[in-house]
Parts: sequence; structure tokens; C-alpha cells
Amino acid sequence: MNKLTLKGLGKVFNGEDGREIEALRDINVGARSGEFICIIGSTGCGKTTLLRLIAGLTPMSTGQVLLDDKLVENLNRDCTLVFQQLSLFPWFSVQGNIEFPLELKGVDKSEREARVKELLKMVGLEGVANSKPYELSGGMQQRIAIARALAYDPEILLMDEPFGALDEKTRQKLQNVLLEVWKKKKKTILFVTHNIDEAIVLADRIIVMAPEPGRIINDIEVTLPRKRDRLTNEFIKLHIEIRNLLEVSD
Amino acid sequence: MSKLLKSWQSFLLPVLFILIWELWAIKTNNPALVPRVEAVLYVIIQPFSELIGTGSLAWNTAVSLFRVIIGFSIAVIFCVPLGLWMGTSPTIHRLVNPLVEMFRPLCPIAWIPFAMAFFGTTRLPQLFGIRYTDTILDSVQIGMVFIIFWGGLFPILLNTIYGVNGVRSLWIETAQMLGASKRQIFHKVILPASLPAIVTGLRVGLGISWMVIIAAEMLPGSDSGIGYLIMYSYELAEMQILVACMVMIGLIGLVLNKGLEFISLRVSRWQSLER
Repeated sequence: MNKLTLKGLGKVFNGEDGREIEALRDINVGARSGEFICIIGSTGCGKTTLLRLIAGLTPMSTGQVLLDDKLVENLNRDCTLVFQQLSLFPWFSVQGNIEFPLELKGVDKSEREARVKELLKMVGLEGVANSKPYELSGGMQQRIAIARALAYDPEILLMDEPFGALDEKTRQKLQNVLLEVWKKKKKTILFVTHNIDEAIVLADRIIVMAPEPGRIINDIEVTLPRKRDRLTNEFIKLHIEIRNLLEVSD
Repeated sequence: MSKLLKSWQSFLLPVLFILIWELWAIKTNNPALVPRVEAVLYVIIQPFSELIGTGSLAWNTAVSLFRVIIGFSIAVIFCVPLGLWMGTSPTIHRLVNPLVEMFRPLCPIAWIPFAMAFFGTTRLPQLFGIRYTDTILDSVQIGMVFIIFWGGLFPILLNTIYGVNGVRSLWIETAQMLGASKRQIFHKVILPASLPAIVTGLRVGLGISWMVIIAAEMLPGSDSGIGYLIMYSYELAEMQILVACMVMIGLIGLVLNKGLEFISLRVSRWQSLER
């Protein structure tokens, strides 16, 4: 049984001139529980829209989203979305941000503090609980955002190019942090990126998308052993394969 | 540049201004037109002494302040919730906004004659059927409260709406994605995110209220307050009292503004540092 099933998802936007724009067509995906799926594609192929449909932030035009074979309607409360933009609440401290979902659930204060401490340790940022988001770098803020998403403890973690705005070194560091977290928490992750190496390092499976209309053109199982080395032949071969797929689609 | 020199630079022009005033006063030699600086100071340093049969400077200042506090508080209690409501509900905005646009260009001072005609000299205690309480409440005319309310109304209302509209959809969606209900989003996201703009509205509104009350007190039918004291000392050609009142109005305005500026800096720290 799949954890998450996307059945014939499609999205048509109404353009300003009354023209219809087909952003997504017939998206079918089945994600197993605990699977790490990367969605890759060039800009404008509807990756972000796809995540927003799954999250329920944008209504779909056609198709269904199923969680444990149950239909999801409106907001999908079993998943959370980590945005590409820095999305921490600037009026709260780091502590206030991470405990936000816990507070909403009514978790009491001492328990919240313990959880925040544990989560900060998990993302490798101990001792910043009392800092304000604007005092931290972009990479640190994104780690806090991941910790906050984990505090919500969703079944499915949707990530929309969360490392997109970071430099290569920070990006690789956060990829490792994310893999560690994923190993510990066994979450099902859908991770959108346009960085081929990032997809190969992270994913169990890479879904390749093409634009106009946004659709899936390939679904690649990544069988390379974990702790993937970017310089091995297999890695590079896979990189070239995906690059060719993306180039053909453009 | 040394710190001392820098702070001296801020004092230079004000001191020069007072000096020129003093020279002008000496040269004119007409206290009924240009009072000497020391005459003005003499009034200010004994704020509790009786002036021209209208109570002391301190008392009249307190009366004006008290009127503003009451009128302004009503404006806050009314406008902040309405602004939040208009900001979050497009329907309410469509319903109420035409009325706002209709009244907004109307200067609050233009309401003064209307308020005088409509409310007369009815005082706050009389609203509750009490003729005389022998407290400062007796000096609070409903008409003045009404005018101060109008002075605070639009800055508070419009800034609140502006604040709510400025809440990023990213924050709201983030909260939704972390399990927040509509109510929780309002309390935990919309309210804190629009607070800096609301406080700006309070600051502007309080400044206008303070100006409007002085104008209202200058009109016929007024019997106390610093605006009244100014007009009365004008009629008696007691220029040193008149100028002392002006200084007082300026000082109170400054303190009110600085107080809210302090609060404003505290609640909007994240906003200025985020960019």
C-alpha cells in the first residue's frame, strides 16, 4: 500500500487575459511510506504547483490525492510544506518558531522546551533557541524551518527547493543534515529541486518533469548505495542521464 | 567629531532661538505683545499656582490630557477591532470602506461646530444621570470626546487595515501548513504581524487628537483646558501665560510621541531588522 497516491492530478490556471494555462497534466505518483522522492524539472514545469496541490494550498482542477488510500480534501493536515522562501515568523524567537505547531496542539511548556532542544540538536543548531530569525543566516533559518516542520510531526514532508537560495557548501551540509533527520524520523519526503546532484544525493526515486504542460516524463529508481559520492562513475552516469532527459524536454 | 561637540550641535539652534526671542522682547518692550523668556519660565516653573481665575497650568493641562485619553481610548477600542475586521474580511471592507472614504477627507476640526450644536455642554457624568461629581470627569464634555474620537479614527483604522493587508501570504500559508486554525492564524500571525502598523496608527492618531483638543477648547462654550487657557490669556493680553501654554502643549505632544515611539520601536524591531 502506498502512503501517498496522486491520481491523475491536473491543474489549469485562468490567465489574466482569460486564456487557460495548463500547469499540470495527469500526474500519477505512488509514494511508499518512508520513501524519499525528489521531483526535478526545469523552471516552470509545475513542481511548486504540484506540492501546493498535495498540500491543499491550491485547489486541483482534476484528479485526487490519497493518503493511506483515503481521499484528502481541502488542507492536507497530514503533511507540511517547507517553503523555498525564508518563512520563519520574524516576531517569534527560534524557540517560538519551532514550538509554534506544538503550542497549537496544546503541548505543555516543559515538554515543548524539551522537544525544541532535541530538534535543534537534530538539525545541528544548539544554543540558538533565544535568537531571533533575522540574527541567523539563510542556511540556519532554513534548518530552523525544517526543525519546525518536524515539530509538527507530519506523515509527509513536502519540501520546495528549501536549499535553493544557499551556496553550494551550505547546501551540501544541509543535504547531509536532512538525510540524517530522514533516517531517524522515517518520514515520507517529496523534495522539489532543479539541482541534479542534489536529487541524486538525496532520493530513493527521482521523478523527472517537463514543462508545457507540466507532466512526468520519467521515474528513476536510484539504487546507488547511501552516503553517495558525487565523483563515482555511477553517480556521474546518472547525472548525465537526467541532464539529457531535462534537455530533451526543453 | 567628539560626542560632546555633537550633542552641542543639537542645542545650538534652539538656544539661539530663545536668545533672539529674548532680545526681541527686550527691544519691543511690550509684554502684552512679546513676553520676556523669564516671564514665561516663571509661569512654567510654578505650574500649580492659580492663573487669571481659571485654575492652574497643571490643572488645565490635566483636563486636556484627560479628555484626550478618554476620546482616544474610545477611538482605539472602536478602530483597532474594526480595522482588523475590515482587513481580514473583504465583505466587511466592501461594506464599510465607502463610508470611510466619504468621511476621511473631512478635517476633524470641521466637526467641532457640529459637535457643539449636537452635544451642547453635556458632560460625561451627565450621560449616566449624575449632575455633578466634583472630579475631573466634570470637565469632560461629550462633544470634545467626540471630536478627539474623530481625530484618532482614521489614522488608527487605516493603519490597522494597512497592517493586516501587509501580512505576507507566505506566513499565513506556513501557519496553515503547521496546523493552525483560522482563529489561531489570527492570533498568532495576523495580530503580531500587523502590530507595528497598528502602533504607527496609534502614534499618528494620538498626535492629531492632541492637536484637535486644543482647537476644540479654544472655541466659545469651553471653560477649561489648555486651549481655553490660551484663548483666555489672549483676551487678557497675558502673553507670558499664552506662550507658557504653547510650550506646555509642545512638551506634552513631545512626550506622547516619544512614548509611543518607544513602544513602536519595541514591537517593530523585527520589521526593521528583517530587511
